[in-house]
Amino acid sequence: MGMKASNKIATFFKYFVLILVGLIMIYPLLWMISATFKDNSEIFAGIGLWIKNPTLDGYRGALNNFGGSINILQAMLNTYSYVLPKVICTVVSACIAAYGFGRFDFPGRKLLFNIMLATLFLPQVVLNVPQYLLYNRFGWLDSPFYLAIWVHCAFATETYFVYQLIQFMRNVPRDLDEAAAIDGCSSFQTLYKVIVPMLGPALVSCALFQFMWSCNDFMGPLLYVSTPGKYPMSLFVKLSMDGDTGFAWNKILALSLISILPQLIVFFCAQDQFVEGISAGAVKG
Amino acid sequence: MSMAISRRNFLLATGAVGAAGLLSACGGNTAASSTASSVASAPAASADDSLALTDGPVSMTISWWGGDSRHAAYQNAIKEFESEHDNITIEPTFAAWSGWEEKMAAAFIAGNAQDVCQVNWNWLYNYSADGSKFVDLNTTTNFLDLTQFDQAALDACTVANAQQCVPVSMTGRIFFWNMTTFNKAGITEVPKTLDDLKAAGKAFQEKLGNDYYPMHLGAYDRMILMVFYLESKYGKDWADPITSTLNYSEDEIVEGLNFIKSLVDDHVMMNLKDYYSANSDTATHQSNEWITGKIAGIFEWDSAASKYASALDDDNKDGFTVGEEIKFGDFNGGFSKVSMGLAITKTSQYVAESATLINFLLNEEKGASIMGSECGIPASKAGLAAAQAAGAVKDLVADANSKVMAFTTNKLDPLFENNDLKASGTGIYQEVFDSIDYGDETPESAVSALLEGMEDVGYTIG
Repeated sequence: MGMKASNKIATFFKYFVLILVGLIMIYPLLWMISATFKDNSEIFAGIGLWIKNPTLDGYRGALNNFGGSINILQAMLNTYSYVLPKVICTVVSACIAAYGFGRFDFPGRKLLFNIMLATLFLPQVVLNVPQYLLYNRFGWLDSPFYLAIWVHCAFATETYFVYQLIQFMRNVPRDLDEAAAIDGCSSFQTLYKVIVPMLGPALVSCALFQFMWSCNDFMGPLLYVSTPGKYPMSLFVKLSMDGDTGFAWNKILALSLISILPQLIVFFCAQDQFVEGISAGAVKG
Repeated sequence: MSMAISRRNFLLATGAVGAAGLLSACGGNTAASSTASSVASAPAASADDSLALTDGPVSMTISWWGGDSRHAAYQNAIKEFESEHDNITIEPTFAAWSGWEEKMAAAFIAGNAQDVCQVNWNWLYNYSADGSKFVDLNTTTNFLDLTQFDQAALDACTVANAQQCVPVSMTGRIFFWNMTTFNKAGITEVPKTLDDLKAAGKAFQEKLGNDYYPMHLGAYDRMILMVFYLESKYGKDWADPITSTLNYSEDEIVEGLNFIKSLVDDHVMMNLKDYYSANSDTATHQSNEWITGKIAGIFEWDSAASKYASALDDDNKDGFTVGEEIKFGDFNGGFSKVSMGLAITKTSQYVAESATLINFLLNEEKGASIMGSECGIPASKAGLAAAQAAGAVKDLVADANSKVMAFTTNKLDPLFENNDLKASGTGIYQEVFDSIDYGDETPESAVSALLEGMEDVGYTIG
């Protein structure tokens, strides 16, 4: 009896702490939702959730279509029309590159690997101008297919993911490769029939990270997209932010909220795999 | 063997591409520092009569930055222009300010910027100090009426002896007051002298309490007010508007820093330390103190009026008032500057059409009345008249702007707004004023950091 009661109390406190911490974590998101219904002076007056003078102006403003040139739906479609190829190219190319570095011994491997790692430390700002000039030569600026934004991902330029996958690949026993070879697999078949299925969670986390980063990328689209009709969400959200004369924050927050919905859905769908992917490399065994 | 060679070639090629990028990135800067000193006063180029409008279909581009209402104004004006010139179609590119300079810088370097570009004034120095990027608009006077603009404003846009842009609007700093709070402190008139300011500081502290201040200035605002003070005391520009040679001695600047410090000591302005502890780096108009009227004044660009007015809560909204410029000495202090311009890029194939478009937007009745005060109070006389007649000018901003323009006489030098100096958080101006307010430095010891920082960005210090 006493045992049961103390168990209940313990459970109560566990849940109490969890709910409390959970609330603190989710508070900014809740605040964002409530702020979409407030006006500027109310937004900056405090951090409470209570809305004194609720207004729908934020959502009305979010439907602005800038003289018919771009609207929120089109902007979302535009975003995914380059984010999807970018994610696919990244996962495929990073996986192949990681396979090369992780499983094959070829002359210059160490040097090339080091060079590749070195690019990890190269800040994007340094690359902006040379890349811009290069893509200008290719005629890829303002391309209707967003070539300048995603094509480079097909060449394993996202070093971070290559590196991450190499680490995961170390945990896949080489015995499996050998067994596959004995069964007559070519090296490429070994990759997609044996290693890729083992890397599943890691690939999902790569894809998710790339998905989130690409959706949030602002500078890339700003540099390479000039036609308003082709603007993605990251540009669309910021279109109204005129620092000079001020702007309505509720509109920006409403836009942000709408734009993160698909990301939230993707994340929840892939949540199990994602968490597994992050922790998979943590413990060797 | 063949593999090794191709790999080496590959590395060579990537190295070359990288180096080219770095070189071109640096190019802008070198050009900027070299030209400032090489300005000659050769006669202005005259109209180029070989320019003519094309009869066939023309597809041209224009770019600007701004917010919702500016986007709408430009788009409507463009529609109107297209209906007047049915062989011309215009493709616009637009976004907000953040990141826009990077985008345009890349485009200027690559030579694929739009035909007509809305430009920030210091871009003329940053990207076209040698006159290589923008068309000399003196050659387009058959299509673009430059006589509608003040000569001083046009001169400010003359770089490398070429009229590289037309000034769309001019702006300057002025005081804005929240008279609701002033009334509570028993003051019914806006401060007009330094004594008024100090008296307000005292009244606020005594009647309303220690957390009420007649005004608050961030570090960059303080720098501008300090220059304003020195200019009204000594009657000379802060620095030469072309060569950026500093006109003030160390002692004079110490006097300016002491003036700012005295405002803090006399409770006219909030100590930066106190402001940061309550608001961290949040802008003034988003601070609780401003919204609720505890900070009752600012010294801001005339164009910022509506931003500050609309941020106030309902109790304070009606009290927002455009103040008067304050004369701290024998002269009128402060500067006005070109807030933005319209330029035609040298890579444009349609210079005549571009000039016609600019003329339509700024000078012609139809265009200017649509543009209104969306890009600031029009600097074009005809444009301003048309916009006012159409009721498309914000009264508050127009009031502030006319006071600034009537008062200020000094010129701005292109390095004053250099990012290394004015950036919030990392800029030299902030470092200097922070260190004084935190008590780490005195004005006498802080002045050397200011001068060193200015020298680093290219000022000549005598």
